[in-house]
Amino acid sequence: MSVSASQIQKINYFSKVPEKLCSEIAEAVIEEKCSPGTVLLKEGEAGDTMLLIFQGQVEVSKNMMVKASSGFTMSTKSIIRLETTDPAPSNDPITQPTVSVVKAPAFGIGEFSLVLDDAKRTSHVTAMTDVKYGILSLEHFSRIVDKNPSIGGTVYFEVAKSAVNNLATATQDISNLTQAFFFALTK
Amino acid sequence: MDTNKNIEANSSSFDDIEEKIHANQVLYDQLHQSLVDESIAQVDEDERSGRHSASEISDTETIFSRLSNYYQANELFRYAIWGFGAVFLATTILTIIEYPLFSGSVKDDVGDGFMFGGSEPNWLDTFFHTFWWAVVTFTTVGYGDVSPETHLGKFLTIIIMILNLGIVTMLTGAVSSVLVAARLKGDDKLDETKFHGHLIIAGWNPAVQSALRLVEANEDSTSVVILINETEEEIIKRAISGFDRLDITHLSENFTQEGVLKKAYIEECGTFMIVPDESGLLPNEKPDEDKTVLTALTAKSILEDIQVVAYILDEEYISHLHRANVNEIVFPDEHIPHMLAKHVTDPGVPQLFDELITQEKQDKGIQVVPIPKGLVGLTHNKVSAYYKFKHKWLLVGYAIKKAGFSLEDQMGESGSPIIRDMIKEQLDGAGIKLSSDEHVIVEINPDDEYVIDGKHKALVLR
Repeated sequence: MSVSASQIQKINYFSKVPEKLCSEIAEAVIEEKCSPGTVLLKEGEAGDTMLLIFQGQVEVSKNMMVKASSGFTMSTKSIIRLETTDPAPSNDPITQPTVSVVKAPAFGIGEFSLVLDDAKRTSHVTAMTDVKYGILSLEHFSRIVDKNPSIGGTVYFEVAKSAVNNLATATQDISNLTQAFFFALTK
Repeated sequence: MDTNKNIEANSSSFDDIEEKIHANQVLYDQLHQSLVDESIAQVDEDERSGRHSASEISDTETIFSRLSNYYQANELFRYAIWGFGAVFLATTILTIIEYPLFSGSVKDDVGDGFMFGGSEPNWLDTFFHTFWWAVVTFTTVGYGDVSPETHLGKFLTIIIMILNLGIVTMLTGAVSSVLVAARLKGDDKLDETKFHGHLIIAGWNPAVQSALRLVEANEDSTSVVILINETEEEIIKRAISGFDRLDITHLSENFTQEGVLKKAYIEECGTFMIVPDESGLLPNEKPDEDKTVLTALTAKSILEDIQVVAYILDEEYISHLHRANVNEIVFPDEHIPHMLAKHVTDPGVPQLFDELITQEKQDKGIQVVPIPKGLVGLTHNKVSAYYKFKHKWLLVGYAIKKAGFSLEDQMGESGSPIIRDMIKEQLDGAGIKLSSDEHVIVEINPDDEYVIDGKHKALVLR
């Protein structure tokens, strides 16, 4: 079964792309399925593909140095869970979420790969339910953009918006961490 | 002509103002009379309910509980009770066993004097007679006016005398050990009940006496004071002799020690004040301010919430005291340049300070007074009018208890929740509090619309 244009359009990065062009993207997407627990993306790995999650729930997590009773250890911390609503996951997640679950019709993850060659994955993405997803490689996408430059504008605008939002949050995080750092130092 | 007009205009506007002020005064009086009544009624009710609950505990109960407390607290009392019990038991046994012997000798010894049983001795006489013998024997006095005659009686007496040897030895030992322990402890354990919200002053210098005089003058402040310093008893006695309202206790011990601070019930105190200690110093020696920092650290380690005020002479120690989380630091040198400069730039201001601070007398000067409950939630202009018309005091500003800087408030909802949670978790794990200590800030002459909440106290000029 191949991916349909309407499925592509549910993903926010492609929401402004006309249906005709969506079907062109859909043709380039390779559809995959995986079972719960599968690691879809690994932090630090280079990747030149963007994943389009059509159905299921995934957890985004990061490696962090934390202080445990036995000293500092590296541990994986969940950051957020993403869940599709159209269609909803076909089964329950393997573990109950400890972080907030963000819901949307469908998701695109690893979108920086549409901008950068060999972009490093910034976090782990693990399937929590059965997941139906599609793979869109930079190579395929650039070929489509070359043919229809108008796609590039709308898609990259959405990618840039998300990047800017991430940057704003990151700036706040740095300011919070700096404050906490001074707080810890002056005690 | 023009000026005349102006004056006329002015005077008429002054009349206006006066009229307005008068109208305001009436209005404020009406507005606040109900609030004043309400707050006074509230206070009365609190007092009544407090008294009522106190009288419910019956007198016998208090005596019994006091005795049992005393029994538990006082080792000597405990031994005396047991010793007396042992004598009593021995007497009872002997009376039963040697009844014929003792009852026989009662009449011989007592003659025709007072007896419980009239002319013939009864069991009570015999018991008392035996008791007399037992006490005489136990105390090793041994009058010999009463003595067992039969072999059985003598045999039992031997046993009792030998046992007695042990009991007397134990009692003597107990008495002396209690006395020695008391001396070692300095046995000046303070009466716990009155120490709550009291003032502790660690260290001694001439400023303490002046400070105490000002505390004495303000009747709303605590009356219980503990001084901890190793200055000669005589000097302290002389210094604190003039106070009527204050109940001052002197602990002649080293205040840097945790045990000493606990003895002064530091957990319960309202304010813990540390001053440069001049105890035992020669006139040209400087107080050791390391002790101030050390004591501040000790106090804060006993209980983080203790309100610590430190008086410091050397600027160098200020940062140390900040690190020790001292609530307020008094550094007198800080004020001197201002005072000097104000003599040049604003003559009159230093004199005002002199008048306000150093000349403070009973019920005069700048004071902090609680704001009646009824005024909480109102704006500054109303509260100010209340003090003006009700008490004829000038409301200068407010002293506000602030929870201090809180990292949590500072971060709010910014950034990603995961990072915020991680910061909280990690700082918590490291034992670092997310907020700094409560401290008092002042808000002077705020806007009319400034709203007063429950944490405000009024700074008034009386």
